Amino acid sequence: MSATANVAHARTTADVVAAVANAVARHSPVRIVGRGHWLDAGRPTRDASALLLDELSGVVAYTPGDLTLTARAGTTLADIAAVTADHAQWLALDPFGPLDGTLGATIATASAGPLAHAFGTPRDAALGIEAVTGDAAIIRAGGRVVKNVAGFDLTRLFTGAWGTLGVITEITVRLRARPQVDETWSIPVPANNGALEALCAALRAAPIAPLALELIDARLAAALSLGDHDVMLIRLGGSEESVRAQRDAIRTVGAAADAPAGVWDALRTSDPPGSAVVRFSDLPSRVADTWRAAREITSLAGGARQHASVGRGIVRVIAPPNDDAAVTALVHAAARAATAIPERLPGTCWSALTTPMPNAELARRVKRAFDPANLLNPGILGIEP
Amino acid sequence: MTRDELAIALRAIVGPRGVLSRPAELLPFSADGLPTYHRPPKLAVFPSTREQVIDVIRLFAREQWPFVPRGAGTGLSAGALAGGDAVIVGLNRLTRILSLDPVNRLAVVEPGAVNVSLTRAAGAFGLYYAPDPSSQSACTIGGNVAENSGGPHCLKYGVTVNHVVAVTVLLPDGEVVSLGGAHGETPGYDLLGAFVGSEGCFGIALDVTVRLSPNPPAVRTMLADFTSIDAGARATSAIIASGILPAALEMMDGPTIRAVEASIYAAGYPADAEAVLLIELDGLEAGLDADARRVEQLCLDAGARTVRTARDERERARLWQGRKKAFGAMGRVAPALVVQDAVIPRTRLPDVLRTIHDIAQRWRIQVCNVFHAGDGNLHPNIGYDPRDSDATDRVHHAMREIMRACVDAGGTITGEHGIGLDKLEYMPLIFSPASLDAQCRLRAVFDPDRRANPDKVVPQHACREWTQAPAARAAATVPA
Amino acid sequence: MTATRDTPPACALPGTLPPLADALPGIMTCVHCGFCLQACPTYLALGDENDSPRGRILLMRAVAEGELPVDDPDVRRHLDRCLGCRGCETACPSGVPYGQILESARATLNQRQPPPRIARLVLAVFATHHPLAATLWAARVMRGSRLAALLARLPGRVGFSFAMLAASAPAMPARPYATRGRGTRGTVAALRGCVMEGLFAHVNRATERTLEENDYHVTPAPGQRCCGALHAHAGDLVGARALARANIAAFERAGVDYIAVNASGCGLMMKEYGHLLRNDPAWAARATAIAQRTRDASELLAAAGPVAGAPMALRVVYDAPCHLVHGQRLHHEPLAVLAAVPDLVTTTLPNADQCCGSAGIYNLLQPELAQRVLAPKLDEIAQDGAPLVATGNPGCMMQIGAGLRRGHIAARTVHPVELLDASYARHAHGVPAPRR
Repeated sequence: MSATANVAHARTTADVVAAVANAVARHSPVRIVGRGHWLDAGRPTRDASALLLDELSGVVAYTPGDLTLTARAGTTLADIAAVTADHAQWLALDPFGPLDGTLGATIATASAGPLAHAFGTPRDAALGIEAVTGDAAIIRAGGRVVKNVAGFDLTRLFTGAWGTLGVITEITVRLRARPQVDETWSIPVPANNGALEALCAALRAAPIAPLALELIDARLAAALSLGDHDVMLIRLGGSEESVRAQRDAIRTVGAAADAPAGVWDALRTSDPPGSAVVRFSDLPSRVADTWRAAREITSLAGGARQHASVGRGIVRVIAPPNDDAAVTALVHAAARAATAIPERLPGTCWSALTTPMPNAELARRVKRAFDPANLLNPGILGIEP
Repeated sequence: MTRDELAIALRAIVGPRGVLSRPAELLPFSADGLPTYHRPPKLAVFPSTREQVIDVIRLFAREQWPFVPRGAGTGLSAGALAGGDAVIVGLNRLTRILSLDPVNRLAVVEPGAVNVSLTRAAGAFGLYYAPDPSSQSACTIGGNVAENSGGPHCLKYGVTVNHVVAVTVLLPDGEVVSLGGAHGETPGYDLLGAFVGSEGCFGIALDVTVRLSPNPPAVRTMLADFTSIDAGARATSAIIASGILPAALEMMDGPTIRAVEASIYAAGYPADAEAVLLIELDGLEAGLDADARRVEQLCLDAGARTVRTARDERERARLWQGRKKAFGAMGRVAPALVVQDAVIPRTRLPDVLRTIHDIAQRWRIQVCNVFHAGDGNLHPNIGYDPRDSDATDRVHHAMREIMRACVDAGGTITGEHGIGLDKLEYMPLIFSPASLDAQCRLRAVFDPDRRANPDKVVPQHACREWTQAPAARAAATVPA
Repeated sequence: MTATRDTPPACALPGTLPPLADALPGIMTCVHCGFCLQACPTYLALGDENDSPRGRILLMRAVAEGELPVDDPDVRRHLDRCLGCRGCETACPSGVPYGQILESARATLNQRQPPPRIARLVLAVFATHHPLAATLWAARVMRGSRLAALLARLPGRVGFSFAMLAASAPAMPARPYATRGRGTRGTVAALRGCVMEGLFAHVNRATERTLEENDYHVTPAPGQRCCGALHAHAGDLVGARALARANIAAFERAGVDYIAVNASGCGLMMKEYGHLLRNDPAWAARATAIAQRTRDASELLAAAGPVAGAPMALRVVYDAPCHLVHGQRLHHEPLAVLAAVPDLVTTTLPNADQCCGSAGIYNLLQPELAQRVLAPKLDEIAQDGAPLVATGNPGCMMQIGAGLRRGHIAARTVHPVELLDASYARHAHGVPAPRR
């Protein structure tokens, strides 16, 4: 059976239950699909029938005064942005990929973007979920309030589990007030030795509280029309008065130039289709070293790029499709690195990553507890029951 | 192995001063910070080193003996009580701060390190540990991890789980695993996120790596007083809806104010007020005064009599002191105190507080509300005399009604105190049987024998695996 | 002497001995929050909640409610280990009167099983005038002969006792001067005390001079005795009450506005005379009246300014006696005394509010634990590096002083008024005081 041979469309949680129950009855694996943008992310799954959630969508509950929103998994981030913008609020998650990606996929993959610098990752935003586990049971975890320690934290466990423990059908997220002023500045990073470290130190010491602090290499900068050298993008937000003071502070750090408002959306959608992507991370104090190590990969191929969430110490490396040298170097680097998270790789490359997953035995037990027959996205995380 | 034989074996590991076995000496361990529950343990063991903790737990694993980890015993859900054969494992002697990295703002601490000691040690570098439960002067980091503790400043800065980056866990079977990591992202399931808040049911934290935060460059602490709870609740909703995110937004009602003002921690709250809001704004200096003026106007619009801002650090400390010691100050109101903890959507504050007031009147009890209003995290506390059985009954009826009112408003049964023993009966109010069973399955991943803090958090009858023994129990025991 | 009136109050529970039953309402104010744990020196040293205020309160409650027998050896051991420093009272948000509960419990326990012989001996000596005077005289002779300094090198408890004696010698030479006060702030009689007058007469004289220099009129109060604090803390409430009655009578005769006490343990005891004699109809009101007139010497001095003396360029580190900071809740007054000495650089120990382990005769009864409690204090003093440690209680001066001596830390203990007195002496002998 191939993924296209058998497709189920779920419009309700009951549909999901029926689909999973059917899968259980037929011992037939299920590939969970939102809008299908990220099907090339994660390890290749075994042949499975697709369970499409894009029509399991819509906002279930939104009381602006509570700063929480409950939506079905197939609701797109763009739709949530539109609904919340009317009340000067936003869901501060900006994962890389098309802007109409779904909330379900964002939570299931725990995908974070530059705003994680200030607002944290999906694990910090998700307050509660409804999901259908591998034995077709509907479970709820967490709740719709911003603080909750009732019971064991299945919300965190399912966030970032890539659908392998259950099909997430509904999610409650924490919203934030949109800053009155939201503007971005770019500072060129000189190429000389130690310049990056000096800039990072200066920004660290400056009286600023950026929403995002993203280092962009020259090639990506060019693609984003930010010039032809490495730049530091600094997103400032807050009241007029607060942003004015921060703007002044940034100007003392370097030659800050106004960046176009659309630069963040452009960055999110800048990965060429079919790219291989790996994130490397280490302590934030070593981000310059991590950046230079990544440079050794990107310098191999004309189309390779890299950018980094400086405050979090994460460098994201994008190798263009069909550039074997870059992809091979990327895979080798990922295999050697202490902490590398491959997002997308050509299917044949995953076998080169032999580093065992930490706590593999515990992970297997978790998988067995929620999807004992290994029917949900089988193999995508490399955790076999 | 009998209890006495176990005591001998434990003494061989931790020495004679590390084991308590006589009834009188076990008495102080029969309750935690919620003394309405009493369960004298069979034994209590106090390891002084990480190696001793491991040896003790491995002994329990060999003997299939249940145990209950305990930090400072300041918890408020009767979670650190050991019933049946369970032995208390006191971690309060492992108090060291193992390392402190001011550049990456990380610290590694032993589980018995006291919360405030971390902030003291980090202070030299202009850093602090953000989660600040009211018991921070006594509670331990290990206990905070177990309960996923909150505190007033968690409104802006998040609760314990947002500040823990790694934990070395001793599983109940004696295996040591590292969850999370300080050196970047961790692949696979968020086992760290699952461990934080697991109330001692998943194992023992041998060390905890926490994130430290830089001291905010500027702070404004404000006190607004109101002649009705309703007005205070409306002000809270208005501030949250305005988009300003205070570092803390705390509310105290009239009875609480008067208890505090009668204690040695009198904070200068107006004694005739029916509600005060303690509001703290922090962040960059620029723009903070403008935010403070907006907050002041919102309070006045909601009916505040006065809004004043602390002029200096001393006045700020005094205003906070009253809030932090409020719970203890109620000790002078009545000989026993039920401390409750529930969360509601913040727009529901005015009507739920009215409902609580009505419930209190109907049952003729005195409710003192002191809580994290900004989070919607209520703490209705009820003082009573436990020797009066009629009063005790009324208190328990009222409590149940209050809990149900919070759940009906879309809330939850605990925001920071945990389930422990105290909230077990409320779990079915918010979770379906399947959802409770899912929690049992997760527990079985870490502790298939259910020996770590047994009988807590999830009602045992909710676990299908226990009655039907299907998938999860098999899953937990099938070899890989 | 009036007959003792230790009849059980009407509310005593059946089967319970009176003093502890009387303390039950106080016990019930404990909400078990645990905020006291980190304020308790023995909990910090031993890590056992039985040796914490919360644990001890539970033990005492179990005895009061008949759950545990009065002669339970575990209860006894853990109560014996309590320093009575009352650091927990400062930490307690519920206002549990821990010190009073402890004294009641000890009195109750003593009715069933007397305290150790050495404690009884010490208390007996302090309760009787002539043997006490003779003992202190012998101690002074010993100290003067420098034999104490030699014996202070002996190991263990004996050596430490002599080190304590040696530490009571003046750290700085006193230079008497003619005081110039106007006596306008009221009349004061000083509690001469037993150890104070016996071993710290120099501090008593300094106290009198500094009070006079600050416009108090100091008059004697003959007939006064030991304050009774040692007895009360050890549970000998009968003995404590007898001494209290003698002192009340003596100070009534003196007819003064204030009673100045320069030993914080004694000051606290006198401030609690009202509580001590609350069930004695003939004395309760008189006790309260005397208690209300009692002041620590630093309180009187701080109320008067105090006037500045001549500059002394010295470093001193302040350590708060428990019964001053926790018992009497006086934080700023001793620092105000030190601040009146120009050029004196005063620091405060990081954990100045933690007990030093002296605690009356505690260091005699629990020598090992007293040393463990003292150790972090000595570390902090060594870390600070100041040559002088100021603290306003003789027990603390001797305990810390002995620890410094035996730990080879180059610092001596002084009473804050000694420094102020020296500053005044310098002024009187020609060094001008700067104008304020």
